Amino acid sequence: MSAAGRAAVSRGILLRLREQLEFTKKGQELLKMKRDHLASETNKLLSKLAERNELDRQLMEAYENMKAAYLNIGFSNLDSQAATVSEIEVRVRSRSIMGVIVPEVVIEKNADIGSISSPSAYKAASKLNDIMEKLIQLAEAESRLESIAYELMMTNRKVNSLERVLIPGLLELIRYVEGRLEEESLEEFFRAKCVKKIIRGAKK
Amino acid sequence: MKSPSTIYLVTRTHGMRTHLLTDDNFKAMAKSKNLSDIIDLLLRSDYATEIGKLPSEQIDSLKLEMIFLKTLVERFYNLSKNAKGKGREFLENYISRIEVENLKRILRAKHTNTEIENHKLVPLDREKTLINFPALIKAKDVEETASLLRETPYASLAQRIDDYKRLGLTIILESHLDSIYFDKVWEKVEKIENKDSIKKLVGEEIDLSNLQLILTLKMKNIASRQIEEMAVPISYRLRKTNIRRLAQGRLEDAPEALVGTPYVNTIIEILRKSDPSIELETILSKKLYHNASFALRNSSLEFGYIVAYLMMCERESRNLVTITTGLDLGVTEEILLQRLFI
Repeated sequence: MSAAGRAAVSRGILLRLREQLEFTKKGQELLKMKRDHLASETNKLLSKLAERNELDRQLMEAYENMKAAYLNIGFSNLDSQAATVSEIEVRVRSRSIMGVIVPEVVIEKNADIGSISSPSAYKAASKLNDIMEKLIQLAEAESRLESIAYELMMTNRKVNSLERVLIPGLLELIRYVEGRLEEESLEEFFRAKCVKKIIRGAKK
Repeated sequence: MKSPSTIYLVTRTHGMRTHLLTDDNFKAMAKSKNLSDIIDLLLRSDYATEIGKLPSEQIDSLKLEMIFLKTLVERFYNLSKNAKGKGREFLENYISRIEVENLKRILRAKHTNTEIENHKLVPLDREKTLINFPALIKAKDVEETASLLRETPYASLAQRIDDYKRLGLTIILESHLDSIYFDKVWEKVEKIENKDSIKKLVGEEIDLSNLQLILTLKMKNIASRQIEEMAVPISYRLRKTNIRRLAQGRLEDAPEALVGTPYVNTIIEILRKSDPSIELETILSKKLYHNASFALRNSSLEFGYIVAYLMMCERESRNLVTITTGLDLGVTEEILLQRLFI
């Protein structure tokens, strides 16, 4: 059953429908803007994710250094060297991008590796320390991308439903109401003509 | 003329040396595919008793490492127990490197308030040391740890606490512990009769340890004045000017700073490596164990033979740790052989 079939017909309804159409079109424009912004944000994040391969390579290099350190000083000594390293401190806060809540990770304090006395352990730790910041940024980007991609999908659906269902439906309804109103006004005109004719005939 | 006690000790050491694993043993272990192959080989060595106590399913590289360290400690103390007079005094001081290592481990943990338990230390029985390790483990911070050492040979550690607090680096305390240790050992070396061979071994160990410290600090971009302060004040073939030039110059200029010392080629070899910081410990330790191996062959009737034996015990322990750790980490035989001190 079409929307037109259920609609009551009056000038007031036509005005209201036209207002609703205008509002829907504005909403559609806004959603399109949101979609474009989210898409550009996704593109930015995708370029960041492309760094992952390089990061993987660096991580493998750091692991090789770590292996060398293990071989040089053994598990228990490396464990002891690791005890001198203060923990990295990070704060996760939320940020809104076009209404999408995404996480933002702020490194408040880097790990202090200065007290490591074994040169090979120090080398491995400094490599890992350098990568840690990039790893955190990558994790942040991946998590943002997940939220934004979901929102982008939802926005796209909304834009499509407005574009293909709601707006065409409203236009159809407006056309139907306009047609009915025109018919009614023609009927009224014809009725008035007939009444005039009858009144004139009676006078003669 | 050597004293009877020295002759007795050297003779005992000759016997004990036969228990050491050979380079061929290490090469065979490096080829092993899993820990059980290594255990099969170790069950025919001094490690058999300790390994036999562990259920086979519980054996891992960390437990084996502790067994290797425990055996090393036993070998050190067995030898010192058999010594007499000045030789005994020297050996007691020499093997106190175990307690120094444990002190370093405790200080490192206290630096970040990390919990440290007894099993993370080198296994050292209570009767073998005057240091109250259980109390140190319970200390709340580095300062309290240092204060608990006031009635021990490491009492002067408390003097370095201010520097430690200012810079926040435990390496200051570690280098000071090394200075105390080498100072004690060097003092006892001077009192030993026919000290040439032992002086060369211990002296070069001090120099190599100093080189490792200075180069590590240089790699960390520590200021030259602090490097000079942290360096072990005793040196054998390394002169004060060498240390100063090394501390003040660039890392690349280290060979020039060491001209006239026997360490120039060692430093050139380190700097030639693509990653000197990774190779530093291995190359310096190889040089040390090469000296020990030379002394074992050429000073067979000297007290130096005993020190060389102790160094070779340490080498064995480190090689075994490297092999079992490497096996755990899936390291190839080729890489393992590069890291071994053979």
